[in-house]
Amino acid sequence: MLRLVLRRGRAQWPLLASLLAVVTVGTTLLGVCALLMSRTAGQAVSVAAARAPVTDLDATAYSSDIAAEDAPAVVADTRTLLTSAMQPFRSTLSARAASDMSDISGRSGKGYLAAVDGLPSRATLVDGAWPQGAGETLLLEPTATRLRLSPGDHVRVGDADLTVTGIATADAGTGWDRDLLEGAGYDPDYSDIDSLRHFPAYGPFLISLDDLLARHVGLTRLEITAQPDLTVSTQRDLDTVTDGVLAADRRYSGVLGDRAHFTRVASTLPHVLLTAKSQQRVTDGAVLAVAVIGIVLTGTALALAGRLTAGVRAAETDLLTALGTSRLQLLRTAAIEAVALALLAAALALPLSSLLHAALSHVAPLADAGLSNTPAVTKLQVLSVVLGALALTVVLLTPFSAQSRARVGIDLLLAVFAAAGWWQLRAVTGSADLLQVLAPALLLTAGATLSLRLIPPGLALADRLAQRSRALPVPLAMFEAARRPRATAAGLLLCLACAAATFGAAFDATWARSQRDQAALTVGTDIAVTTSALDRSGPSGSAVSEATGGVVSPVVNRGIPVGQWLGGSGAAPRLVAVDMTRASSLLRGRLDGGRTWSSVATGLIPARPATGIEIPADATITLTAATTVSIPAPIIVTPHLLLQDAAGRRTPCVAPPMALDGRSRPLTGCGGGSLIAISLPFTFDGYAETSAPFTVTMTVTGSADWSVTSAEPVPGQLTDPALTTAGGKLVMTGQIRLGGPPEAARTLVATTFADPGVLPVAVSTALADGLGVAPGSQLTIAVGTTTLPVRIAAVVPGVPSAPGAAALLADVDMLSRALAVRGDFATPVDGWWIGEPTRPDAAGRLAALHLGTVTTRAAETSRLAAGPLRAGLPAALHLLIPAAVLLLLAGVVLHVTYDLRTRRTETSRLRGMGLTRREIRTTLLAQHAVALLPLLAMGAAVGALATRLLTPLLVRSDTGAVPVPGVVPLWPWPTESTLLAFLLVAVAGLLATVVLLQTARSTAAPLRELS
Amino acid sequence: MLRVSGVSRSFGDVRALTDVSFDVAAGTMVALVGRSGSGKTTLLNVIGGLDRPDRGTVTIAGAEVTTLDEDGLSRLRRETVSYIFQTFGLIPVLSAAENVGAPLRLARVEPAERERRVATLLDLVGLTEHAQQRPGEMSGGQQQRVAIARALAGSPRLLIADEPTGQLDAETGRSVMALIRGVVESEGVTALVSTHDPVMMALADRVVRISDGRIVEC
Repeated sequence: MLRLVLRRGRAQWPLLASLLAVVTVGTTLLGVCALLMSRTAGQAVSVAAARAPVTDLDATAYSSDIAAEDAPAVVADTRTLLTSAMQPFRSTLSARAASDMSDISGRSGKGYLAAVDGLPSRATLVDGAWPQGAGETLLLEPTATRLRLSPGDHVRVGDADLTVTGIATADAGTGWDRDLLEGAGYDPDYSDIDSLRHFPAYGPFLISLDDLLARHVGLTRLEITAQPDLTVSTQRDLDTVTDGVLAADRRYSGVLGDRAHFTRVASTLPHVLLTAKSQQRVTDGAVLAVAVIGIVLTGTALALAGRLTAGVRAAETDLLTALGTSRLQLLRTAAIEAVALALLAAALALPLSSLLHAALSHVAPLADAGLSNTPAVTKLQVLSVVLGALALTVVLLTPFSAQSRARVGIDLLLAVFAAAGWWQLRAVTGSADLLQVLAPALLLTAGATLSLRLIPPGLALADRLAQRSRALPVPLAMFEAARRPRATAAGLLLCLACAAATFGAAFDATWARSQRDQAALTVGTDIAVTTSALDRSGPSGSAVSEATGGVVSPVVNRGIPVGQWLGGSGAAPRLVAVDMTRASSLLRGRLDGGRTWSSVATGLIPARPATGIEIPADATITLTAATTVSIPAPIIVTPHLLLQDAAGRRTPCVAPPMALDGRSRPLTGCGGGSLIAISLPFTFDGYAETSAPFTVTMTVTGSADWSVTSAEPVPGQLTDPALTTAGGKLVMTGQIRLGGPPEAARTLVATTFADPGVLPVAVSTALADGLGVAPGSQLTIAVGTTTLPVRIAAVVPGVPSAPGAAALLADVDMLSRALAVRGDFATPVDGWWIGEPTRPDAAGRLAALHLGTVTTRAAETSRLAAGPLRAGLPAALHLLIPAAVLLLLAGVVLHVTYDLRTRRTETSRLRGMGLTRREIRTTLLAQHAVALLPLLAMGAAVGALATRLLTPLLVRSDTGAVPVPGVVPLWPWPTESTLLAFLLVAVAGLLATVVLLQTARSTAAPLRELS
Repeated sequence: MLRVSGVSRSFGDVRALTDVSFDVAAGTMVALVGRSGSGKTTLLNVIGGLDRPDRGTVTIAGAEVTTLDEDGLSRLRRETVSYIFQTFGLIPVLSAAENVGAPLRLARVEPAERERRVATLLDLVGLTEHAQQRPGEMSGGQQQRVAIARALAGSPRLLIADEPTGQLDAETGRSVMALIRGVVESEGVTALVSTHDPVMMALADRVVRISDGRIVEC
């Protein structure tokens, strides 16, 4: 048997070489996918870890109320614990500690010592120098100002004699929110939890940690942060550090015992690394789905090659059978050949897949994701290649007759399976690994097999048309194409390969678009700056505009209650308010039904912008408040002015409380903007069944169309509100009811705009579904302590920056107006949104302003679409397309070559009939073209159908969830047209080449042989 | 009608034809007789322009076949020479009528005229009722009759039949030879029929015997 196999191998080496090539292509694809799922996947998690922001990977041990005698040991034990938790990685430790409050010599308030490692990276020196040695201290600017301290001055805090060496401002986003005074430097009414006393507090007095510990002071707070160096890591190392950090919290309380009142180790490192692994698993699932498509394609190509082999060997098999060779012996011979072929293919595919994977890793998207690699072999790769090659060659053992029998009705069965799988996939909202892996291959195969049924009617029509023709070559081609037995395997391969290639291209485009959509909706705009409480006193909108050159809007972005509803699954409904008049420039995120953000904004924005009276920056406003009645307790008014800057940011300016005593009081620091609203809240610490008329005048020059009202919630407490202008003054009058509950508001509000009434908002589908509301419905929301009625003007799939969340979108101007007419001038600003930035490195310039956390749509898109954890899928798809094209073309060559060889005699006879070689070529070309080229169109149609049906179910977010916004299948016409044009030209070119070669060799020899 | 003059043809070291010369008069049926491997088919292929001799000339109706280019040879086979093959040479996917009509399509005959001529030819070979059957649905004799009808469709002046009865039983073979004899007489064509069946030789006007590539009887 072995001798037969060897002899046959020598004689039929071209045939065996083609089989070997097909198996090698398939197993190489499998090998590369295995490498993507093993080597690249492991590397991706490491790269993702190395690229993660350091604050996401550090671990901080918090402890509080540590006695002076325990402090040094607690610090040492904490450092040891964190260092061991971060093993096997080296870690960098930094500490922040604050002492108990102590008296400040010669001052009425108290102060505290603090140590902050890496001070130069957390504060900006404005005067003096950083402290270097023991006894030297640095102060924040507010502390120094309030205590009138300058570099070189001496100050005593508790028992510590300190010399001020420098004064600095706290940088935003560097941890000052965890300072006892949140980096404010001063609190006039600090609440001490231990003593339950209130007193003015100053600090921190920043010294080194060693100095702090040496002074034997108790520590109110201690936090030590360990930052691991993950630049080089393995999956095992990452698993070890994950376990170590997860266990650190429990270990820490055990280590410190009762030496600290409170202990905790907090870190997002385990979450980040586990999430990274989870994201990689999502990508691996998609890569596996691509591999399955490749396997099915290769199997189909092998079925074709097997059929051709059987055809070539039919006579030989008949002879062997006639000579007494049993079926078992024939099967054994075929098995020996198949195993040899499989092992040879595996031997070729292993180095090929390693080289191809390495090459693939040096181009986008893997190279961009930092996943470049040198050639290597992994266990999974070896296993996949060897088992894949063996499994594929089993196809060769299946007699073609059995395949034919099996084919009857198998297309319908496949279609039923595919439909059931698709239906099941639709019903699953989360990840459905097995279904997602198998569904593409199943649907493509079912579609391809079913579409083969459409070919015969088309060819029958061509046959009928050809009968009416006078000529022979082309009609004969139609007759041949329509009446010869179907080349099922070849047809299936062509259709399936074309479907796989077009589906791969469309899946890639759809996936990339979905990532862009998700990034756009997640960020909500081009550049978003999220500010903390500390940052809100920072640069204004004009600075943001200057840094970016884009359209800038202040943004409200916070969780709010909607009526009594606090949202589902622990997430409060979000209120997002931006300048909707510039929605098209500012807002990002795909809408449905052809709507644009501008069209959504139409129902949300005010009729005209708010304009007010310009107040120069250095203006001094004179305030006078008076009443004409005499009452036992004073009436106090605290005027609030609402100023608007050029960027639309509104800032309240509050005057000191003043009695209605008729005295004039100057007000400074309330300039540099446009005065658009005045609020006069009156307080009366008493009770009288009467009303007091009042007059408040304000020296403001300019005119505006003022609206005056008595603010909610008890507008009856202030009646007859009015505002008049006279002689460069605003005169506000009314009656205050002195009865009623003392806490009832008595507030006059004057605005340069009309009361917006019910605030129009757009709500997300999640909120509309959660509350069962629709456009036109009214709700109540609470912004801070102010309750606002809102009316739903539109329902949108998602609100920018709140994908998938229950959220409301409003115009920030309208929101501000609605709050202002209710006497709430503290329009919340949670950040800035910048659309269409024009300055290069706008994000970097913004970050330099220290406004807060800067997020860009481009960076988020890059993370989602080209990040290390995501790059495997597009890489696999980029591999699938050429593999499918290669197998398709190989199938064409095999099929046409075999067909022409088997019809050599017929070709000779046609010559005998008088057909020229050119006419024979025309006949053969037309015959194969009419049979094969429609299969490309069918394949493209199947690819398009699979894209339409499957991509919305297969594309997932980075967490494996259904993406928000939903996936819109994308058929990239330029790519698909190019691909199909290439296939068309390549198939036609190969057909022409094979036909030319075969007809050029056509001689009378077959006639002689047969005679 | 046909003049073969000093034709030689070798395949490697094998000399298939050596200095073959003979003439065939118009309207006669000549039997080319010889054993298998004697060079009959090679000679017929050279005469029909399917193969080129190493030396010598073939002249058909005054046209020098051996000097014709590819197009000239194709024209020769369409207009002057027709083949009848031992294995019938029918196109399997075409019906009997379509096979017979194939040469008429090559001549771009109008469909109506083509159908009329096909019907006549099928009637001539007695296969009118089998017009729509494909070769695989017919017996060997019927297939060879279709092949004869197809050979006559182009109104050839020379009919070359290479062992036309080789695949047929004796009785069917005789009827086919009789048919060829009949069409030679009725259509006035010249026929060159290779055979090694002595019974068939009796129907020929003349016998040309070939052995080891040489004419031994003419």
